Amino acid sequence: MLLTLNHIGLRYNQNRAVLQNISFSLAPGSFHFLTGPSGAGKSSLLRIIYLAEKPSEGNINLFGHDIAKMARHELPALRRQIGVIFQDFRLIPHLSALENAALPLRLAGAREDYIQRHTSELLDWVGLGDRLHALPSSLSGGEQQRAAIARAIVNKPKLLLADEPTGNVDEESAMRLTHLFNELNKMGTAIVLATHQQDLIQRLNKPSLWLKEGRLIAPFPPSAKAA
Amino acid sequence: MPLPNTLFNSAFQHQRLNWLLISVIAIMVYLATFAMTIEAALSLLTITWDQSVENHMTVEIPALGDETSMPQPERIKQTLAVLHALPDIQSTAIVPDQETAKLLKPWISDPELAKSLPLPTLIDIEIKPGSFSSAQSIEERLKTVVSDASVDDHASWLSDLLHLIRDLTFLAAFMLFLSGAILFISINLICRAVMATEKDTIELLHTIGATDNDIARHFQHHARRLSWPGALFGFALATLTLGLLSFALKYLPAASNIPAIQWFGLALLTMMVPLVAVIGANLSARFSVLKLLHNMP
Repeated sequence: MLLTLNHIGLRYNQNRAVLQNISFSLAPGSFHFLTGPSGAGKSSLLRIIYLAEKPSEGNINLFGHDIAKMARHELPALRRQIGVIFQDFRLIPHLSALENAALPLRLAGAREDYIQRHTSELLDWVGLGDRLHALPSSLSGGEQQRAAIARAIVNKPKLLLADEPTGNVDEESAMRLTHLFNELNKMGTAIVLATHQQDLIQRLNKPSLWLKEGRLIAPFPPSAKAA
Repeated sequence: MPLPNTLFNSAFQHQRLNWLLISVIAIMVYLATFAMTIEAALSLLTITWDQSVENHMTVEIPALGDETSMPQPERIKQTLAVLHALPDIQSTAIVPDQETAKLLKPWISDPELAKSLPLPTLIDIEIKPGSFSSAQSIEERLKTVVSDASVDDHASWLSDLLHLIRDLTFLAAFMLFLSGAILFISINLICRAVMATEKDTIELLHTIGATDNDIARHFQHHARRLSWPGALFGFALATLTLGLLSFALKYLPAASNIPAIQWFGLALLTMMVPLVAVIGANLSARFSVLKLLHNMP
């Protein structure tokens, strides 16, 4: 399995539990929606998967490694195999689209000529071939999201996590992004796409992980939950 | 460096933060240069005085002794004969009368009056290094030929002064330590402020696989970039102040008895201060950032 979560729980200080007893597995090349109402814990669960948060309970097995047994300095190597797309894009404002998208390759120590060539080709593929040197502030919401997707996949990750990727873009951009995710999945990248947009779930017709009040109720047919 | 140097520019290029870091380092380098100079000058002074008194004693033969039958030149001759016979004595030198008269200058300013006084004869003696002869044992030997001869050990005169200088040296060292500590705390606070401002960027970098070292290197880069101007400005200001002080010292009568200090050597030593400050700022940034990152998931 690519990812296995066993009885994951998350609680901040003494507050109410954000996540409770979450268990599921993801196979390589799979595609899942992570859905549920606002505040159900979708973003928190994604943060746990991309190792930005330590669970209060349970354990994670990622790419065959038990995360609890790993030292801090070993985690970056695992994180480099995960691509993350944020709802608010998180592009660095004073770096161009090309520089933003190239960051993971620079961290991985890739050669400069490879970085330039590969990142340019990728930005071209996501439709930003003519905006390589544009700063995020001069890009539209859809373009910023595509630059963020390029950054997330530039390292050819095994797992791609997307947190409400179509939440801040128009309908046309959302369609284009959906197509991109499908294409990436066909190339073998496992995808977990967090969204509360039922039309998107119905359009792609992929299995869903339904979260409600921090608990996983899975898998429900999207149409049943929407009703 | 794998990541662009400009990653945390928006926080570090904030004008107020720039000036804060440059000012803190300038003030710390100014104080540290001062403390370092005082520390080095006092240490040199201690060594110079220590060396000058370490193996020296002074024999005093009063002009009006109780052996009225023996004239002063004969008393001096007999004293020298005893001294030369002692195995621990390296050399002897009779202090000229003019030099002895000079010693009275603080109390008797009229040179004619000083000349009319019956001045004692002083003999400066140098003891062989490693010898265990004390002033008391030499005096006992001398008293067998000149009963009123006395021997003074220079070290005992200067011991209190040397203690004071050593205390001042410790104070200067403490000032130096304090400057370093304030520099570290300031850099730590600035790093905390920048990390709070750039929290999202840091989290993003972690998410895409940056190690703590990758992130710390960027803070070190900015700490170096901003600490150089501060360190050089503080050092220049301290050098100017010290130059003015040393110039003013030449005109202080009390300073005439201070042995000459090797200003060139001191200057070389204090030139280390800005360099150490920049290295210190660099390491403080690294240590602070790594410590703060360690508390992140």
